[in-house]
Amino acid sequence: MIESLKKIYEIEDKSKRLFKMVIPQNEFLKTLNFISSSSNFITLSQISCADWIEDEVFALNYILTTDKRDKNLMVEINIARDNSKLPTLLKLFPQAEVMERDLHEMYGIEFIGNPTLYDFALEDWNEIPPLRREFDTLAYVNENFEFRAGREDNKDVKAETKRRRAEAKKLKAKQEAEK
Amino acid sequence: MIETPENKNRLIKIYHGPQHPGITGNMSVELDLLGETIKGARTHVGYLHRGFEKLVERRTIIQAFTIVCRICVPEPDPNEENFARAIENLAGIEISEKAQYIRVMVLEMARLASLMLWMGGQSGSIGLGTVGQWSIYDRDLILDLFEELTGGRVYHMYIYPGGVRRELPEGFLERLTQFLDYLETRLPLYDNVFFENATFKKRAIGVGVVNREEALKNGYVGQVLRGCGIKRDVRRDNPYLVYDKLDFEIPTFEGGDVYARAMVRRQEIKESIKILRQVIEQMPTEGLIMQKIPKHRKFKIPKDDTLVSTESARGEYNFYMAGDGTEKIRRMQVKGPSLIHGFTLLENLLIDEELSNVAMIMNSLGICPPEIER
Repeated sequence: MIESLKKIYEIEDKSKRLFKMVIPQNEFLKTLNFISSSSNFITLSQISCADWIEDEVFALNYILTTDKRDKNLMVEINIARDNSKLPTLLKLFPQAEVMERDLHEMYGIEFIGNPTLYDFALEDWNEIPPLRREFDTLAYVNENFEFRAGREDNKDVKAETKRRRAEAKKLKAKQEAEK
Repeated sequence: MIETPENKNRLIKIYHGPQHPGITGNMSVELDLLGETIKGARTHVGYLHRGFEKLVERRTIIQAFTIVCRICVPEPDPNEENFARAIENLAGIEISEKAQYIRVMVLEMARLASLMLWMGGQSGSIGLGTVGQWSIYDRDLILDLFEELTGGRVYHMYIYPGGVRRELPEGFLERLTQFLDYLETRLPLYDNVFFENATFKKRAIGVGVVNREEALKNGYVGQVLRGCGIKRDVRRDNPYLVYDKLDFEIPTFEGGDVYARAMVRRQEIKESIKILRQVIEQMPTEGLIMQKIPKHRKFKIPKDDTLVSTESARGEYNFYMAGDGTEKIRRMQVKGPSLIHGFTLLENLLIDEELSNVAMIMNSLGICPPEIER
């Protein structure tokens, strides 16, 4: 079945059972509709997203699986990072609801037509969506949390290692000199 | 649920979990009850969100390896296998046949341990406490073997990009054989006390019935599919490691209910033992257990992406991974069976069920909340 799709779309063979195609954003609903209704890639198994901040895009991969579950097709679209909006796939695949909800929370992508884009794993989150590259976990932790009491004398690991090595070296040199 | 004149002032809203012995981990289900009957259900997660997917992006590959096993507590090894295989795919590393056999052995031992833990939860959900005591004891014997092999009981950090971390200890395969012999003598006892138990049958048959027509289209996996009589298993359909060289059956059962899913798992224990016996017999004596890989600060993966799947004890487990040419992973996305089962399936399956069946249905779907929120 993948052969007939290859006649229509440009599909890359990533391995014997994994294929990938990249399509423009405006064609994605039409394409997914066509593939799921006219080929054996009938199931949506995952929507993955990677943040390519240097290219200012999110690469979304809609991963479709055959009814035999023996082949996977990654349909990639690249969307703008800011004010990104996409139509929901809820009518095609009911499982898209929770996947879109997850991506909405983690990347801030708006899925038009999905009624459940409320809190998923986070609660009352008002910061930058956390899986965007510009969200700095370390800065967030330093701003919002305090170190547990009793750790005031915590030393910088790198500096302490360096100091101990220098001390050991000094001691060794001294011992050798004494010999 | 929408309030109507018939149910006005009669609906009660309760939270089933997260502090409930019948919940399968750190999650809750918000239930609308009319008497004892469920009229609405909404799943809530977020009680164990540790941000692994974000942490992975800040670490080198080998530093990231140490946390992936923690994504799912009852079954960490499929995570390790997916992580290692994704890195190997991207970096173009091929592992030896011996390492592949050892990985299959570890994955099947993990499957047995996970099925034993499931048996404890499933029997506990209907009040059969003894079964859980037995099965957790048997699981502990598997953990003893894991401790000997990997140094860890629950988290193993053993399946490593490039192979496995340690050689098999001397006499390990004999001890594994002894354990399998022992486990086979236990199975008829489990049949008597649990799988053929009249109480379990009466409670489980016809409860939590999954619609066969929508099972494939909606992306259900594992025992949920096989309990509807649909034969799907990544080990056969999209084989990895040396599974295509091994002889085993994919058990199915008709009915689509809690009992069907339990019976599929019962047969899977038998099949896992069969696989392990073949692995012991065919295990190569020669061969590298670990390919040469770059030092961890110089280990880079090219700008590319991949998808890998493993059949966990609860169904298909996927990792999407993208590299950007540096020593860090650009994106690792985990999708276990629980995401769809815990939301799309469970929320619909609970409608018109009795409150007392919630724990039993959740256990039968094999939902593991930590892998939903990663």
